[in-house]
Amino acid sequence: MFSAPGFPWLLRHELRVLWRGSILMRTHRHVILPVLVVGALFQGVALLLARQVAAHPIGQDEMMLAANINIVFLFALMFSRAMTASIDVIYGRGDADFLLASPIPPGRVLAVRRLGVAASIAAPWVLLGGVLGNALAVYGQFWALSVYPMFFAEALLVAALAFALVVVLLRFVSPQTTRRTGHTLALITGVGIFIIGQMPRFVPKPELAQFWASLLPGAGGGGPSFIFARGLLGQGGALAASIAFALAGFAIVWVFLAKPFADGVITAAASRPRGRAATQGGVFRGSPFAASLAKDLRLLGRFPGVVTQIIYRSLTLVPVALILAGRFHVDGIGDGMAVTVPLLVFLAGQLGLFFISVLAGSETIPELAATAPVPPSTPQRAALAASAYATIFIVAVPALAVMARAPGLLPVLIFGIAGVLLSNLLLGLQMPIPLVRASFGKTSTGTVMGLILGVSVSSVWSFIVWLAVAPNPLAWLISSNS
Amino acid sequence: MMDGVNSRVISGAALCVRGLSKSFGRKVVEDLDLTISPGEFYALLGPNGAGKTTTLRMIAGLMRPDAGSIEVFGRNVLADPLGAKSIMAWIPDEPLLYDKLSPLEYLEFIAGLWRVEPKLARERANELLETLGLWSHRNERCEGFSRGMKQKTVLAGALIHEPSFLLLDEPLTGLDAASSRLVKDLLLAETKKGAAIILTTHILEVAERLATRIGILSGGTLLAQGDLAALKTQAGLHHGSLEDVFLKLTDAQGASPVRGVTAA
Repeated sequence: MFSAPGFPWLLRHELRVLWRGSILMRTHRHVILPVLVVGALFQGVALLLARQVAAHPIGQDEMMLAANINIVFLFALMFSRAMTASIDVIYGRGDADFLLASPIPPGRVLAVRRLGVAASIAAPWVLLGGVLGNALAVYGQFWALSVYPMFFAEALLVAALAFALVVVLLRFVSPQTTRRTGHTLALITGVGIFIIGQMPRFVPKPELAQFWASLLPGAGGGGPSFIFARGLLGQGGALAASIAFALAGFAIVWVFLAKPFADGVITAAASRPRGRAATQGGVFRGSPFAASLAKDLRLLGRFPGVVTQIIYRSLTLVPVALILAGRFHVDGIGDGMAVTVPLLVFLAGQLGLFFISVLAGSETIPELAATAPVPPSTPQRAALAASAYATIFIVAVPALAVMARAPGLLPVLIFGIAGVLLSNLLLGLQMPIPLVRASFGKTSTGTVMGLILGVSVSSVWSFIVWLAVAPNPLAWLISSNS
Repeated sequence: MMDGVNSRVISGAALCVRGLSKSFGRKVVEDLDLTISPGEFYALLGPNGAGKTTTLRMIAGLMRPDAGSIEVFGRNVLADPLGAKSIMAWIPDEPLLYDKLSPLEYLEFIAGLWRVEPKLARERANELLETLGLWSHRNERCEGFSRGMKQKTVLAGALIHEPSFLLLDEPLTGLDAASSRLVKDLLLAETKKGAAIILTTHILEVAERLATRIGILSGGTLLAQGDLAALKTQAGLHHGSLEDVFLKLTDAQGASPVRGVTAA
């Protein structure tokens, strides 16, 4: 007689499945080696940083504010990821029904799955925060080691809340729309962080100082809103209270969701009817290339979260728009028109890489075209054309604005965009970047190597055009060294 | 428009396979000879791992054989793969569909790949969608479809360019009884128009009812072929069903009887 597996066994299974499906493991079997090297480098940099922090201690209030800002940002960043991870562990892996049909108590499955989500969203931040915590501990600041329990506690709470929100949303909308909501939250968070980072450029110094001062904890210590911050700063009572609060949140959500999960109500939402394509009469084309191009453009347009992903990658358009609108002028630098060219080239490279990666990942049935009377290059040419078309569609408006403001820059801009597109499209076809699943139940594609190489290629092309358009392209280097 | 599309080629042997071999470390298909005539419905049966799907994939031009020749209506699949593919359609057991496309968009794509003249493609698409009961779903994305609906969409895609030769690998998997009957009728109608069909299936009743000839493959070798009467003779059976013939010829290799159960 078999007995139902215990909690540790199930948790180990969950973590193993998550690890094997992670971006790192999809990149290469031995990827852990370069990761360890990079980790050691990070730790080295963190030691240098920690030495500075230890040598120049800042006030307790400022520390509390910095810790609180970190907690809030982390919460927002973790939340969107936790939403998509929650949807994936319910539907994406396709094993929820399988586990529910097993003799394992459903409540145990639910708890383990949410712990898996918490672990997956905590891992990158624990690794990043951990190197700094370790470094500070080396300099005698042992309170910094509280980053480990605090980040895990926060992830636990975030995973619980995100899971609950996902379940609520699924009562009204499809899993796809729910995941899109998660992406939109990530986008809002990213844009919010970007805007806050840009505040010193637009808000006068006195007002900015006043704003930050209003967020300081003050004489009363800031009350409950600073409990997590105090926990992060290693204050024993606050640390214990934060962990207890997170565990309570996790438990409360479990109590409310255990029954509907056991009844299959939550997983049943996956079978909800999906979206309808826009009604149209059928535009049949007698050409394989035209038909493939039309198909690819449709797949691009229907990729989950395509709008948020494009906006997220297009943040470089914000400074471009400011410059093109004449809202930027700095003595010694001028109106910055030259800067728009490398920024737009970089954007084109990143968008091109994204689009071709979507299509490479969406090509779930290459055998179909292989049985058709077309040369094997036809689907590839169509994918390249569709990606280039979508990229040019987005960068066309700022490029036209550059033409209007500084027509002399246009040849270099066109040369740069053509070069970066060609490079990154060919790269992405062979080595697509990691993206969310194009459809539920399908294996994710992409590697971190594609992402690293793609960003590098975009940067190189940006630098090339910068050398071509800037009056004194290396001045920033010389001035910063002098 | 490419030669052969929308104008069926029905002269000569539909399929002529000679000395076909393929190995993946071990022999999967070995020295296979097979001839199918226009209008014929040929069922290729065999136990799991017999080499049925590998054979079909080689005929479809998806896999190059180690040795042998394949001709479809006189077109050499190895020397002129595009010419041969233009008159073939292949339906595997897993539906070849883009989940994010609707059936109508999928048919647009397939018709484009086979260079079907747009006006004709549109008429044919409408007709197939109606016949297969997909008309009301024509603008819905396939991701929400049942397996049977997906399989019917794939079948519509296979038929939109009016192929002269159809390769079907377990085409009835996931279809309900009514859909299964509909698909069978559609396929028989295609053979009446001169198209040849080769089908693999594990549902012996389907082979028995539809096929004009049946081939039994095991270990990559064609053990026997012919109509049911001929197969019975080759198996040395005077009575019994295709299942009996199949089990006798393949010797139910590797299988152990279920304890306490005797076959009826």
